[in-house]
Amino acid sequence: MRGLTPRREQGMADPVLASMVHAAGLETARHYTAATPKIQAYRDSWVKLAPLRDGPVNPTRIEVRDPATMTEQIKAKAMELGATMVGICRLQPHMIDLGEDVPHEFVIVACVAEDYEKVVHGANAVEEEAMRTYAKCTEIATELGIYVRNLGYPARAHHNGGSEVQAIPIFYQVGFGELGRHGSLINEEYGSSFRPGFVTTDLPLVEDHPREFGVQDVCMNCNVCQLNCPGDAIPQDHVITRGIKRWLIDLEKCYPYSRLRDEYCHLCVDVCPYNVKSHPGTYKAFMKERKQVGYKTPKSW
Amino acid sequence: MEKLYVNEIRPNGDVSTVGLFYSQAEAENIVAQLRGNPDRADCRYEIIEAVRHVLTVKNSRQSQAAAKE
Repeated sequence: MRGLTPRREQGMADPVLASMVHAAGLETARHYTAATPKIQAYRDSWVKLAPLRDGPVNPTRIEVRDPATMTEQIKAKAMELGATMVGICRLQPHMIDLGEDVPHEFVIVACVAEDYEKVVHGANAVEEEAMRTYAKCTEIATELGIYVRNLGYPARAHHNGGSEVQAIPIFYQVGFGELGRHGSLINEEYGSSFRPGFVTTDLPLVEDHPREFGVQDVCMNCNVCQLNCPGDAIPQDHVITRGIKRWLIDLEKCYPYSRLRDEYCHLCVDVCPYNVKSHPGTYKAFMKERKQVGYKTPKSW
Repeated sequence: MEKLYVNEIRPNGDVSTVGLFYSQAEAENIVAQLRGNPDRADCRYEIIEAVRHVLTVKNSRQSQAAAKE
């Protein structure tokens, strides 16, 4: 199946970031060179696991008589490996990177929730938590891919060490939530404080379905992320993609705060009121701190 | 920096925004790749300036509102 959705290159391969970095007289983004040893170790961990994304399939295939039972087994395995949420849907062209070919029928997404409490400990604590979570997701996707291949079905893990699938359309399709104004998917329980790993496969499974709980309507009137963005990168107006509202972040305005400084930004996600449900006390304390320093002030300013 | 939307126009007239791009070359490269996909052979693509796109949407909303009055 050939993909249809463009993926923006990451890091200095992104021409927008490269031109801004060079215009500032730098060789690379300050944010990348300022990584702590712990963050660098997390980044190294997914590079190390990249060769295990795909591999030999057990020639003795188990027969799947009941896809519902197999689905329960796969979800239980993902949870046992450390996932917080697991969803499954049929792979569709818009879930795959433009120009890539993924020859599988289903995609399994395993997400790990971040510890939102880190928001009160500064930008580096938030970034370390994000990288820890990505590293965990990489482990889960890798192990789950091996598990499925051992059942006799092809499976490929997709994570920070290599991926051909798009997170947001998959999150939406499995019912994790809806796309928010800040450009991340919002979950009822975890806000946008979670990270994913994926496995594409031909193992017969049962699909989950989209679940809407009013996020896009709330985002039309909320604007808290927009009002807190240091770079004013979150637009007022949305576009429509496949019937879904999308607020496309202006990278030229985002990058000076998220890439050209030493510290992480992440404010748009941290101030989202959907974090209240899981962490009411922390959210209130964090927003009090934002008020004191000035809502648009970057972290560690 | 230039800001351009690529829109996909389906045979039934539905418009779907593919994304926001930051140069004509970047947008044209995306359109070329989309046109190369046989599953999208019946779609048309347009590259438009981002501000104008937003104005068009707003004008369209205002027209719809005026039509209802």
